[in-house]
Formats: sequence, C-alpha cells, structure tokens
Amino acid sequence: MSGRTMRAPGAQRLAIVGARLVDGAGDHGVGDVLLEDGVIRAMGVGAGAGAATVVDAGGALLTPAFLDLHAHLREPGQEVKEDLASGLAAAAAGGFGTVVSMANTTPTVDEPGLVAELVGKAARLSGARLRPGAALSHGLRGETLTDFAALQAAGAVMITDDGIPVTNSRLMRSACEYAAELGLVIQTHSEDPSLRGDGVMHEGAVSQELGLPGNPDAAEAIMVFRDCEVARLTGARVHIAHVTCKRSMQVIEHFKALGAPITCEVTPHHLTLTDAALRGFDPLFKVAPPLRAEADVAYLREALRRGVVDSIGTDHAPHTRAEKERDLMSAPFGLPNIEVAFPLLYTRLVGAGELELPDLLRLLQDGPADVMGWPRPRLEVGAPADLVLLDLETERAVDPRRFRSKARFSPWADERLRGWPTLTVVDGAVAYRMEAEAG
Amino acid sequence: MKLKAQLMNDEEVGRALRRIAHEIVERNKGAENLALVGIHTRGVPIAERLAGLIASFEGISPEVGKLDITLYRDDLTEIALQPVVKKTEVPFDVHGKRIVLCDDVLFTGRTARAALDALIDMGRPAVIQYAVLVDRGHRELPIRADYVGKNVPTSQHEVVKVKIATIDDGDAVELHELEV
Amino acid sequence: MATVQIDLPDKTRTRKRNLLDFADWSVDEVGALFDTADVMAQVLTRTIKKVPALQGFTVGTLFFEDSTRTRLSFERAARAQSADVISFAAGGSSLSKGESLKDTLRTIDQMQADLYVVRHPAAGVPHQLAQWTDASIVNAGDGRRAHPTQALLDAYTFRTRFQGFDGFEGKRLVIVGDVLHSRVARSNVELWRMLGGEVVLCGPAPLLPPEMAPGVRHSYRLADAVEGAHVVMALRLQRERMASGLLPSLAEYVARYQLTEAVLRTAQDGALVMHPGPINRDVEIASEVADGPRSVIEAQVASGVPIRMAVLYTLLVGKR
Repeated sequence: MSGRTMRAPGAQRLAIVGARLVDGAGDHGVGDVLLEDGVIRAMGVGAGAGAATVVDAGGALLTPAFLDLHAHLREPGQEVKEDLASGLAAAAAGGFGTVVSMANTTPTVDEPGLVAELVGKAARLSGARLRPGAALSHGLRGETLTDFAALQAAGAVMITDDGIPVTNSRLMRSACEYAAELGLVIQTHSEDPSLRGDGVMHEGAVSQELGLPGNPDAAEAIMVFRDCEVARLTGARVHIAHVTCKRSMQVIEHFKALGAPITCEVTPHHLTLTDAALRGFDPLFKVAPPLRAEADVAYLREALRRGVVDSIGTDHAPHTRAEKERDLMSAPFGLPNIEVAFPLLYTRLVGAGELELPDLLRLLQDGPADVMGWPRPRLEVGAPADLVLLDLETERAVDPRRFRSKARFSPWADERLRGWPTLTVVDGAVAYRMEAEAG
Repeated sequence: MKLKAQLMNDEEVGRALRRIAHEIVERNKGAENLALVGIHTRGVPIAERLAGLIASFEGISPEVGKLDITLYRDDLTEIALQPVVKKTEVPFDVHGKRIVLCDDVLFTGRTARAALDALIDMGRPAVIQYAVLVDRGHRELPIRADYVGKNVPTSQHEVVKVKIATIDDGDAVELHELEV
Repeated sequence: MATVQIDLPDKTRTRKRNLLDFADWSVDEVGALFDTADVMAQVLTRTIKKVPALQGFTVGTLFFEDSTRTRLSFERAARAQSADVISFAAGGSSLSKGESLKDTLRTIDQMQADLYVVRHPAAGVPHQLAQWTDASIVNAGDGRRAHPTQALLDAYTFRTRFQGFDGFEGKRLVIVGDVLHSRVARSNVELWRMLGGEVVLCGPAPLLPPEMAPGVRHSYRLADAVEGAHVVMALRLQRERMASGLLPSLAEYVARYQLTEAVLRTAQDGALVMHPGPINRDVEIASEVADGPRSVIEAQVASGVPIRMAVLYTLLVGKR
C-alpha cells in the first residue's frame, strides 16, 4: 500500500506527543505516537521519547487521515483548474491521507498507460496518497468497456464514469459482472440525462421562482434504482456517489434491506446547502447533481444518523475562477471543497448537535475503507502512519487565499469554522502543516 | 426657513398683474395671435389670470398653454433628486405665434433658458417675451424679463415665495430666510 | 396624478438604482414611471422628438441574445433624451458567451457608461453584472426569468387603452400559452399582482408546472380561464416545443389554446387582447382577433419607447 520511495531504515522518526488518540475502534486516551519508516512504531504515554522531530499536539485530536473516494484532480489535460500536485496538497490540507481521483479528464483515464503515469507522478509528490479511479467506458461515451483488469494492474482501484451517467443498462450490467469477478468497485453517477435536461439547479419552487431550468429529483432516483437493481442482479459492489435527495435515499434503503451489495456516498455541500443558495445567481453553487430542497437535506442528515450512508466523499470539483464567473447556463458544474470539508461538517453537523463525532469520523475513515474493501485505518503499532491532527477548539475564518488548491475561492469564504487540520502525516512524513498566522 | 417679510399683499399682486396685462397688450399692439404659456408650477395660474385680464379689456382671449421644463433643466441635481415630470399642454401651434412665457420668480435665468429651449423644440414662434411677478436678481445667464411685477433685491440665503390664489390660499409674495 | 419624490440623504454620492425585476420597486414608483411615460409619449408627438434630459449620460446596450426590436427601442429611448448610446451586440468580439462575465464587463466598463441595458439567454446575468459595476442595470430579458420593461409597457397599455380605466385593483389578466419558458409571463405576474390585480395562467400541462407562480390560479382549459378577464395575453409558441417532445402537434395546440372570437365571448366587456410579439398568426392567436377591435398589440409596441424613456430617465436622473 505504500508506493513511496525507499527510505533508509531509522529515518524520519517523527513523534506527535500529547494528543487525544481516537480511531474507529474507540478513544485510546491521551498519549504519543512514534512514527518511523511509514508506520506507527510505538503508541501510548511517553512513546514519543527519542524522536528526531517532535510535534506537541497540545491535547488536539489525533486520528487516522481521512479517505476521499471522490475527488477531481483534473490531470491529465485540465491542469489550469488543478493538477496532482495542487490537488494532493489540498487534500492533505483538508486532512485527507488518500484520494481516489476521478477519470473524467482530458483525455479520459481509460487506458492503463494513463493510470501508470498518474501513479508514477504522484509517487514523487508529497501530499495525500493517490489511488486512481479509471473510466468504465472509453472516453466516458458509455459504449464500450475499458480493460478493467489491465487498469487494475496499472494501479486503478475503482471503475467509474463519474461525471457522465451510464445510460445503457446492458453496458452497466456487463460492467458490473466483469468488475465483480475482479473484485473492483463501480462508482456511479446516477442521473437520467433525458429528465435532467439542461437543468442547472434542483427543479422545485426555487427554480420556478428564479426562472432557471430545473433538474428534478426523479432524474436521480430513477437512475439510483437502475444502478441498485443491476447491482442486485449481478452481485457487483456498486457505490452510489453523491446521493442528494430523499427519494434516492429511500430507494437505497429499500435495496439495502434486500441485501443488495450497494453502498452510498453523500457530499459535504449536499449536507449543508440547499437550492436557496442559487438565489444570488452565483454559479459557484451550480453543481451536479444539484443542491436540493430543505426537506432533502434534512432527510440526508437523518440517514447519516441512522447509518444508511456509508461514506462522505468530497466530489471536490475545481474550476478556474473565470469559469465560475460565467452565466449560470454556461458555467461548468462543480465546486471545490476538499480543504474545508471536515471543518464544515464538524461545525455544521457535530457542532449543531446533528451528528456525533465518532459517526463523522467513521464516514471519513472506516466507511470508505469498507466500501473499497481496504483495511480499516487504525492507530496501532504497525499500522500505516497516515494521521491527521485536528484542532476542534479554535475557530478560524475560511480564507481561500491560503488554499493549496488552484481553485482559490469557496462557497464558504469568510465563514468561521472549527475543526481545522493542523498537521497531516502521510506514510510517516509530514504532508501538511498549518502555518502559524496572526489572529 | 422662516418668514422675513411680506413683499406684496393680495391687492398689490392683483394690481401688478393688471398692469402687466395692459403692458402685454400695449407692447404687442393688441391680443391678436397672442398666447400665454405658463411655466409649471405657479407660472400656470399667472398665465391664466393674465389671459383672463386681457380678455376682459380686449374682448379677445389669448391662448393659454402649460409648460413643464423638467426635461430641459441643466441643473437637475440642484432640485429634488427625483424631479417630478409634469405634463406639458400646449394645445395650439406655436408656429408664428407671439408667445409670452409667464413665471412667478426670475432668479438665475436657468428656468427661462430651459423654457425657451422647450418652446423652440415645439416649433417656431414669431416672438417670445417673458413676464414674471418678481425679479429677485442674481442672474447667471444673459436673460431679462420683458414684464416685471416687482423688482426685489435679495441675498443668496433668502427665498422668494409666491402664493397664487388658485393653488395657495390667496395672493402674496413673501421673503423667507434660509436657516443656516 | 400620483407623483413621487425620492429624498436621498446625501446629495453628493452617486446612488445606483437598477431595474432587474420589481423586487425592490414600489407601487408608487411604478405609478410615477407611468406618469413620466405619459410625458415622454407627448414629447414623441412634437416636431422635435427630443429633449435634453439625459444629455451627457451614456447608455450601453449589451445584447448577448439577439433582439433587434428591443435593442432599437431602448436605443431610441436613450437618444430621444439626448443620451449617448454604445451598442455591444451578440457575436461581437466583446460579448462571447463563454467568457467570464466579470472580465467581459470590466472591459466594457472602460467606456464608463452610466447605465447598461442587458439581455442574456441565461437567467441571473443582470444580477451578476450589477455587483461588478457602478453603472445602473436595466434587464431587457434574462433567460426565462424576467422582462420588466415588457411588463411595464403591457400594464401601461392597459392603463391607456382600457375604457373607463380606474386602476389595476381587482382587474384580471389571463396569460395563455408557453408560460414555463416565458419571461414575459413571469414579469407580468409579478407586476400585475403588485399593482393589485389578479392573474390566471392557462396552457398545456407540460408548459404550466404547478410550482410556477404560487398563489396564482392555473387552468388548462381556455374557455374557463378567459371568463371574466379584463386582459387576455397570448404568448408566442415556439415550434421546438413540439419537436422536443414537450407537446403534441401544432394542430392540437391550436384546437385547445388559440385565442378566437368565440373564446373571448366570456371575457369582460371591453377586454383587451395583448401579445408580446412577434405573433404567430393563426397559431396562438386567430387573425380575426389579432386584427380585431380588442387587440392592442400595436399600442403595446408603440408604448415601448415612452416606457423605456421613463425608465432610463428615472434611473439616471439624480445619478450625478
């Protein structure tokens, strides 16, 4: 799992001392961790003695670094919006230790050579780990299957046409059958394009008020049903990305009750914003699937509490500022959020009493790990040293000028949030450290 | 603003208007082809009174029109920021007519200039003359009145208020002081 | 004659006013616009159809979506008041649809216009532009969202042409046709209701979604809808609605929703027939109606310039 360059033994002994140690197995109390050669060498009170570099956590929360199964890093071909270096650095700044990148780039990541290139490039970078996703169909055209086995051998961990729905059900079925045999997860972008039309926001009272073409929740629910049914039929592990509405969630609950091998994801923005955000006509809030009505957001939060949602994925979708200053019809869909995802969710959900912290952590750690069939991230001797130190107390304003991402703008600019990552360690090395600022 | 003095009472206003009416007829050699155009707001009842007076001793009633010069002002910011535009009603052809513009107070001359522009945009009068009840001095343009009710020297922080029976109650001319 | 003084606290500061829709306009302000339009209409009957009221002001027309008629109407309204006009038309190098609006505006704003008239196929563009410039913005149509000057000239036409006009309170406006895609419908609903009138929307179900205009009566049957109307407004039907599967054939639409003499019998005496133009003769409106005594379609067109003159005058005067 390491994929990093070899180090001399005994190198990089890094200790984090005086932290509150929490992982999916529970709260291990206050103590130290000693990191060496990319793993946790020792843990507990006093374990940090003798390290070359010591970070005083001051009681902050130390927990395994988060896993994001859904981020758009825009490489190859769209580097003006983001690239691996900036994207993985931004991920680390958001407390993420591993990112699964989406394949809707230019060209599409639908050939093993492209996967290998990304893997090779990422190995030389110092942000979060890259686990590439690869396309389900060539060019995302939804016509022919890509070479899943070769893509997997080159390093791809997930098959997804995310960005473009797979409209042909027969193709989706074949993809699922093939992926199941290889043990690959298929992540879906579930929307019916014909119902979605040219909708730029949720179809409802607000879209009618604003005179903007709407995208009804039925467009998503119909395709979620189709994808779940194909999963049930084929036994493939299908992960429904960015579920946004009550109807879709109800469909998913129905299929989970039947034992279908489906999992689902919700994004930070769909948990905290509604279609009312479009009232200012700011294309920053134009996302696909769209921000929904209050009743949908309430239902998603409730589904989080009941454990229906398996993971939170950011769907970090950077664009240039100029692109997001176009008119609402021509601006591209998507918003950047990877650096503020955890503070946003911690402040708005945990801080508001809507979700417990262990549940939020689970959605960012064990949940994604289970979706992918990866070992659950743990703070224990021998476990990979992918950790994040979280300051749950200090309130700071979101300052896009300090972002590592190329997309230096945010729907939450100037909002005061708590729960900022202050240190992210990936493979035993510091991938992000918060700079000291005045005030 | 506070009242400083009454410059003309209603009898004095009445006499001044009668005199002006006679002067108009004299200068224009009768009331043929004559028209009086009052400048909104108080120029209008003045024009109507003068027309009535002329009719009473000439037997001919001159045409009467109402002119709003809001769209012709050059100093819009000096008055209310959303100046109210009233209707201009000039129900006769100005071409070739002898027109007397009527107003209550002549001050900087800018209103008169605007009125001249408005009138000329409507056609080509033969002659345009200008009648005012009060001339208070401080001209900013080379404009003079042909007929004046009363000359009143004033200072910049004084205001001349004219009251005319059909709009206000009774006729009067008052001098007010702006509170600084 | 209702008149309005707007008193501002600081005379020296430029105060920007926009007409994006009627959200921040009051009934009195609209009444004042109509009164000003009366004056402007009179100016247009003079020998010299021009006043110097906006001399020294510059009006820019930004038409990202082509519309010669509306653009010329605004330009005429500006020139009749001696304003200078700069036109930026769609397809020109300054107005590319895919560009950042902010950058596009920044370049255009070098001309230092005092007001921009904006038409764009995407809703919300006038709001976006208004944030990035000190110039006033007049919305000449944004996507399917709003077209406030059209609604103003429609209401103004009613005011000047309805026999025995005594106000908008309790008057019924019936809008028939492709309501879903119509910014004219939306703006008329907004304005008419603000003025105290009542609106009924009528059209085929796919073009009249239930969440549109909450509080306004929806009807799918033309005869029912038209009953008691003071104004019946037909909207233009675009052929592509049939082609894109939204509607059955043209023949079916005509059979069910065309305004004919027979249909109009249940409207109020003296009811007016309107259409934002250009009309599809014998599609949404029968020729006999379009050319008939109830039709005020030509009056609508004629009122465009005076209304737009009043709008430009009201927004600009007091800016310096």
